[in-house]
Amino acid sequence: MAYCVQCGVKLEEGSKQCPLCNTEVLLPKGVQEQPSEPLFAQPLPPAGMGGITKTRKGVIELILSLFVVSELTVALSMILSGNVAHSFIPLFSIAMAALSLILAFSNKPTFQRQASIQFLLAAVYLLGIDAADRNLSWSLVASPALGLLWMYVVFPSHARISKAPRRSVVLVVLSTLAYLALVNGVLSGSLTWFVPVALPSLLVLVVLCWVFLFWFSRRRNKSIPLADIVLGTLVVLFLSATVFDLFLSKYQRGVFILRWSESLLLSGLIILLFLVSVSVSRRVRRYFTSHNRHS
Amino acid sequence: MRVQNSAPEGFIALDNSALIYPPTEAVYNANTFRISLDLAQTIRPEILEQAVHDLMTRCSYANVSLHKGFFWYYLSPNTKEMIIHPEGSYPSGRFFFKENNSYLLRVVYSTHRIGVECFHALTDGSGALSYLKLLVERYCHHAGIADFSFPGGLDFEQKPTSQEFSDPFQHLYDKSLPSYPKISKAYHRKGFGSFDDRVKVISASIKTAQIKERARARGITIGEYLSSVFLYALQQLQAEEIPKQKNRKPIRLSVPMNLRKIFGYDTMRNFTLFAVIGIEPALGSYTFDEIAKEVHLQMALAQDRKRLLSQIKRNVTGERTPLIRFAPNILKNPLFKLLSDFLGDDQYSGVISNIGQMVLPPELADSIKRLDFHLSPGLLNKVAIAVIGYLDTLAINFTSFFNEDRELERLFCTFLVEDGIQVTLSTNRNTDR
Repeated sequence: MAYCVQCGVKLEEGSKQCPLCNTEVLLPKGVQEQPSEPLFAQPLPPAGMGGITKTRKGVIELILSLFVVSELTVALSMILSGNVAHSFIPLFSIAMAALSLILAFSNKPTFQRQASIQFLLAAVYLLGIDAADRNLSWSLVASPALGLLWMYVVFPSHARISKAPRRSVVLVVLSTLAYLALVNGVLSGSLTWFVPVALPSLLVLVVLCWVFLFWFSRRRNKSIPLADIVLGTLVVLFLSATVFDLFLSKYQRGVFILRWSESLLLSGLIILLFLVSVSVSRRVRRYFTSHNRHS
Repeated sequence: MRVQNSAPEGFIALDNSALIYPPTEAVYNANTFRISLDLAQTIRPEILEQAVHDLMTRCSYANVSLHKGFFWYYLSPNTKEMIIHPEGSYPSGRFFFKENNSYLLRVVYSTHRIGVECFHALTDGSGALSYLKLLVERYCHHAGIADFSFPGGLDFEQKPTSQEFSDPFQHLYDKSLPSYPKISKAYHRKGFGSFDDRVKVISASIKTAQIKERARARGITIGEYLSSVFLYALQQLQAEEIPKQKNRKPIRLSVPMNLRKIFGYDTMRNFTLFAVIGIEPALGSYTFDEIAKEVHLQMALAQDRKRLLSQIKRNVTGERTPLIRFAPNILKNPLFKLLSDFLGDDQYSGVISNIGQMVLPPELADSIKRLDFHLSPGLLNKVAIAVIGYLDTLAINFTSFFNEDRELERLFCTFLVEDGIQVTLSTNRNTDR
């Protein structure tokens, strides 16, 4: 039997290290120890069983019991006041609030999981209260809007997605198109303005974004000044708005004319000209950089 | 079976200290313990099954299942056959009653070991130990090892008495007594590294004579000596964690006390109270001898009959308060879960349970390889210590949820070594055997 040189404790036969301080056991040359009988019949499994802790369980049970009590109270008061017909919305609201809290406490507290659950519940809730009169109307626009918001806010934070940002952008753009098509379909019954106006405007917006990103990423200086980002964004927005105006006038009047976006187009082109000249001409660039001005 | 006069047939109310265990059972809160005995002979499961079957009548206090009533959890007689389980990879973890034919007591075996794992709502260490003694008796009888009976154990030939089912807390409740005061929050060690719900064990074996001699030199008992070492180790850990002396919290230990000897009851239900003993490191650093003195005095006070009665009054009053009594389980259970830390685990920094010296019959002395007692640790106090004595050896089992952190165990064992006590270690942690 060996002793730990750090702790001074006697170790069971065959130990390679001290269980208290991990000090390695060094036996004299030629001495070999037979492994002793293990403390328990099976070795420790690689992971625990897991489960919900006592406090979390307590909170969930408390929510459940309060849910039952409040549902009964509301139901009784509705019956007694003769408003049974209007009882669906309060009862449904309590149930959804309880479900939201229970799922918040029973799931891992990660932004992605929690936000996804809450977005889904909010969407279901909107559909539910809209369905109270047995007719779905505004919720068909509102609930998918939450889905679109999820695509913009939560979806890009997914670990796998954040590794492939291009795919994420494509999916976000596609979901935006799908949402616009849905809104058009729900409000008008067919794709009236989506194909002639929304689709080309959005495509122009995407193309312009891509052009600027491509341009900036190819620059020698990798750190892009904030001013360039702001100006680039303005150009994209102004030019996209101009295209939108063009397609809208075509849709409404049958001709491509600019009605309210001339000034935007002009401003966009001036800024674009400035950005190009700063990028192409060293003299212009030097004129506008603080370093040159001061020296 | 009717235990309380007012109770319906087949209804056994949980004893006062068991009330908290069923609602608070969860991951990191198994509320179980294990007592096991290793024989030199190989265990034969078919004979063990027969021995378990033998105890169905005599140990009827263990033949119950737990049910959730409208107001309280309750026990009722269980007529199913008790099943035995091969030993797993760690002791005193959570076990699912359904997999155990709804029994709250689980008989485990391995090549040389017979063990009893018990959910605390059924009984305490003494009750489980009585069961194990009788089980080993019957096993050895059927296996032809020896015929004997454990000194102080249950008599197999006798019928179970009604006192085995009694809840002495209710008998000892005195309405006129003042309630025991509540104490402040204690220090809880954060530890380092990850943790999970697997119970990691470090088992230290020491010679009883050596520790007895060291304890006697300080005028204290073995239990008090071990509690002092635990407090001393926790004091060192807190000093590292909280360098500013005035910010240090009290360090307290929860030490279960068997009340059977004090009040003279022979119940097989829970009849244990916890002595909460400790030191105030905010007042300054304590030497080991100062801690030993404190522990000795506080243990003597904690075992005072009047104080115990006051503690019982506080505990039983909670159960008898009409608001609690008539509140449905659906409301009571979550509150128990949320308040159990505040009323229990928060008040102490660790648990050390010493079940005492197990006196073995001479016929069995040569067949015993080792005896073990394990507690389930908790989420607040992730290391628990359980102590049991047999022959000339004392087994100190550290059960922990920590994966890497073994500082408490190291400080405890190195103190013993420095105090001249030889410590032999074994573990289920990976030591590249």
